[in-house]
Amino acid sequence: MTESRERAWGKLIPLLQGAQAEQGYLSREALRRIARELRVPESRVYGVATFYAQFKLTPVGRQRVMVCRGTACHVRGGARVLATVKKELGLQEGETAADLSYTLETVACIGACALAPCLVVNDQVYGRLTPQKVAELFDKRRTP
Amino acid sequence: MRTEQRLHLCRGTGCLSAGSDRLYEALSQEISRRGLGVQLKRTGCHGFCQRGPIVICEPQGFFYSAVQPQDAAEIVEALAKGHAVERLFYRDPKTNEPIPTYREIPFYKGQLRIILHNCGHIDPENIEEYLAVGGYQAARRALLEMTPEQVCAEVERSGLRGRGGAGFPTGRKWQLCRQAPGHEKFIICNADEGDPGAFMDRSILEADPHAVLEGMLIAAYAIGAKDGFIYVRAEYPLAVKRLRIAIAQARERGFLGKNIFKSGFDFDIEIFEGAGAFVCGEETALIASIEGKRGMPRPRPPYPVESGLWGRPTNINNVKTYASVPHIISNGADWYSKIGTDKSKGTAIFSLTGKVNNCGLVEVPMGTTLAEIIYEIGGGIPHNKRLKAVQTGGPSGGCLPAGLLNTPVDFDSLTALGSMMGSGGMVVMDEDTCIVDIARYFLDFTQKESCGKCAPCRLGTKQMLAILERITQGQGQMEDLARLERLAKSVKAGSLCGLGQTAPNPVLTTLRYFREEYEEHIKYKHCRAAVCKGLVKAPCSHSCPAGIDVPRYVRLIAAGRFADAVAVIREKIPFPSVCGLVCFHPCEAKCRRALIDEAIAIRALKRAAAERDDGHWKLKVKRSLPTGKRVAIVGSGPAGLTAAYYLARQGHAVTVFEAFEKPGGMMRYGIPDYRLPHDILDAEIAEIAAAGVEILTGTKIESLEELAGFDAIFLALGAHRGMKLGIPGEDEVGVLDCIDFLRRVKLGYKVELGERVAIIGGGNAAIDAARTALRLGAKATVPVADADQEVLDASRMARRLGAKEVRIIYRRSSTEMPASPEEVREALAEGVQIEFLTAPLRMTKENGSIRLDCVRMRLGPVDASGRRRPEPIPGSEFSISVDRVISAIGEAPEIPGGFGLRQTKWDTLLVDPDTLMTERPGVFAGGDVVTGPASVIEAIAVGRRAASSIDRYLGGDGDISEILIDPEEDAPFALEEGERPRVPMRTLKIPERLGGFREVELGYTAEEAISEARRCLMCDLEER
Repeated sequence: MTESRERAWGKLIPLLQGAQAEQGYLSREALRRIARELRVPESRVYGVATFYAQFKLTPVGRQRVMVCRGTACHVRGGARVLATVKKELGLQEGETAADLSYTLETVACIGACALAPCLVVNDQVYGRLTPQKVAELFDKRRTP
Repeated sequence: MRTEQRLHLCRGTGCLSAGSDRLYEALSQEISRRGLGVQLKRTGCHGFCQRGPIVICEPQGFFYSAVQPQDAAEIVEALAKGHAVERLFYRDPKTNEPIPTYREIPFYKGQLRIILHNCGHIDPENIEEYLAVGGYQAARRALLEMTPEQVCAEVERSGLRGRGGAGFPTGRKWQLCRQAPGHEKFIICNADEGDPGAFMDRSILEADPHAVLEGMLIAAYAIGAKDGFIYVRAEYPLAVKRLRIAIAQARERGFLGKNIFKSGFDFDIEIFEGAGAFVCGEETALIASIEGKRGMPRPRPPYPVESGLWGRPTNINNVKTYASVPHIISNGADWYSKIGTDKSKGTAIFSLTGKVNNCGLVEVPMGTTLAEIIYEIGGGIPHNKRLKAVQTGGPSGGCLPAGLLNTPVDFDSLTALGSMMGSGGMVVMDEDTCIVDIARYFLDFTQKESCGKCAPCRLGTKQMLAILERITQGQGQMEDLARLERLAKSVKAGSLCGLGQTAPNPVLTTLRYFREEYEEHIKYKHCRAAVCKGLVKAPCSHSCPAGIDVPRYVRLIAAGRFADAVAVIREKIPFPSVCGLVCFHPCEAKCRRALIDEAIAIRALKRAAAERDDGHWKLKVKRSLPTGKRVAIVGSGPAGLTAAYYLARQGHAVTVFEAFEKPGGMMRYGIPDYRLPHDILDAEIAEIAAAGVEILTGTKIESLEELAGFDAIFLALGAHRGMKLGIPGEDEVGVLDCIDFLRRVKLGYKVELGERVAIIGGGNAAIDAARTALRLGAKATVPVADADQEVLDASRMARRLGAKEVRIIYRRSSTEMPASPEEVREALAEGVQIEFLTAPLRMTKENGSIRLDCVRMRLGPVDASGRRRPEPIPGSEFSISVDRVISAIGEAPEIPGGFGLRQTKWDTLLVDPDTLMTERPGVFAGGDVVTGPASVIEAIAVGRRAASSIDRYLGGDGDISEILIDPEEDAPFALEEGERPRVPMRTLKIPERLGGFREVELGYTAEEAISEARRCLMCDLEER
């Protein structure tokens, strides 16, 4: 394999990130297109796309809820926050609502540890949560 | 030095999430509306995110916390007038005193902010500000005045070690990379801060990105690289944004690109966003990621310095390492090497989080102890909870117990204890954290993040996690602990990279330092923190030593069924009224309602039920055929009487021998009437006698031979012998022992106290003695801080009686004081003075009084119990003059020599932990005589266990359970929405209290009890 081909493969992850930023997830067509562009086997692209937690291969909801399960959040009651979110949204971890309104995920740490426990909805960080506040948060979003 | 008025507004991720952008708008509008010449700057993270949004006024240094947009007008107005908004100042969490400037706030005062120097003081999106504080001068010096070899040598001389976790000497790494053959080399900054709980790299990138760029530039020059990458994790979008802006601005100014500083040196930086894989924090996995592959590590050697990115020599360092470099080049290696310890130079940054008052980023010299960081800077543990462990090093590190808090933080000391410093995460855990759950949590994390390439990590972590899951669900076996250790060793030895090699550390350290908690989960299905859902039905009943079904009786009270509630309580204890009045309620400490507003007043509810009993529980008591066996119980305290009761129900003939005049032990003689009226105690003891227990008072047993005719003996002698103070003058002046004092008062003897009384000690006994002394006519001195109408009434009335002053002298601080907070509060309200951090030195008779010489104390290093040991402050001695000294520093058992049993050095008895039998067959013991002074409910619980064990010994099945009320379908009531604080307990007014020993707490009315019970969250009905 020539050096330039090897270096070209270095673009794989940024290309996947770009495609996901556009569509919200990585469709089969997107994976195929990137494989062709880089002249890389599709299996290779699939292997990388499934290795990293950031990449979604199914459509995601308009509101992406990421509940932090970092150590500080865990010690300050993150598990109850997650349980409340699951109840409010009616979703399990990793699931997307049928109407694509919400996707629920957990993330290992968003780095806002002093405000534990936290969750993020799209880009907005919510900290110092209690089960009460979580319920209020989703109530507000349901009835704007 | 800039002296114009500036307002620094933090726009780190934390403050932004709390609304600092809206605050910026509001401040901006106010300033322009008033036409003031105030500069409003947007800075990066100060590292004290918990207090955000943060605004700092310079040059004064005023620190405003939790600022809201509506505060903008007031802030600007204050600036215009030249003063400050006191309401927004930070307040000391213990004293509530406001501290105006950040330089005085202990959180910042204790730090040495070198790497974090600019964070919070400059606008990260404006390169001019970085230049104004000397930015890029170090790079200029390196590129124009030093050779690459000299740069490497300087960094090596400084002693800088990598801040990513491994701690490899940075200068040496650069040297190796520089010397590696090849023309194409790379510089990589590892900003994949994956340790959950760590956010210092994020803060630096958001607040001072140029420091990192400058460090990379210097490094690139040192090793001869033209291309640099910053690998930032995807979860830090703001950091990515600020880096892009910084790189663009650096390029514009010629600090990146071709011919930098006209030195002929080219260097540029590209940002690579991580895609969500913790393992990519490992250098070879990171490299694989940049190469477009799955983030799987490679075996080393060869190390990246020889063969890294695309096989080229590559230098990878952490964000903090690069950020340190400009300071070293500017100030010199000598300056840097003076900070820190011998082997660990410079400062370390920790993200201090978890159960600590001041959460945030802490930068201190290497060698600072954990205790200093957690107590001086962190402000200690909130809500007066006890520290259980401190976890450092993220998932690769370990948990250290409170007794090791004097450990200095550096690369080597923590590693020696089984933990590690790692990237700097420091999570504080308290008594409400389950350590087994923490081990499970970390293994869950590393198992998810394991890349799968090597079998030991992939399979080993999975199996370890499975074992921990079983233990936390109540299905653990004792062999599991040995299995965990074996697996841990294999995973450590066989894994390819740091993730696997360190994944077992949390398990190994928790097994090493917290083994009892594991054993409790396995043997007793008990989670002392009341966390593990598989074991804990409801935290309250789980924490009750006697296992009372708290949620059930609270629900019955909510339905107005008080007598039924008593039946539920009596299924587990024979003292519902006593406990309703004096129990120290471990249940309330774990009540989940406290997360919303306040814990349920479980003890008060128990009392409310007991007061409305109709006795129908008696219809269902257990009746057994007489067994013909005789049991002797020595001591009629809660342990003895409880054991007697249950043994009698099993059909045995029980005789209780009580040395004192009346039965009850500490319940009668140790607890004053204003807390536990004696007629209530008499009534509950009468029920026990009615069960067929013979109680012989005034009968002291001197040797076990006197009980030869009994088939089993239970020794529940308690601990009454007051410990001596051990200070000069103790015997000459006639120090009164606390328990002795309380007993004499109970028996009606007149005790001469004089006008001024000093009580030495800090437990409930000391408080009982103090409040009793007041009622005997001592004067209440009004402490200024608590002056309110009632207390003033008390002192006026007390002065009318010609009364005295009562002082408690305690050598530690209020946080460590063992007495229950409610008792302390009532004592202060009644006029007792408490001298904290004071210890007695000697006592002498002087002019008819006692001169008590004391010394002030301060809290020093942490001792093995995890508490800070008080040490005298030299030169702070002072004297007080009193008429009587009462000592209340603890009690020990007094066991007649004729018993011939082995005793520990604290004079307690030794028993088998499972059967409660002593070394003599058939002789059992329990309660304070075994544990030392504990509590009524713990003694009752032991009485139950003893009854069960003795019954088995006598040929029974050991089953003492009773059903006093038919089991019913759970009928939950509708849960209310919103917050509602606890229904307050009415108490006797202070003047009415001090005239005698009338009960202080007046109890709930039926309506109040029902209302309070309806606050219960019914945790036992929660879906699993």
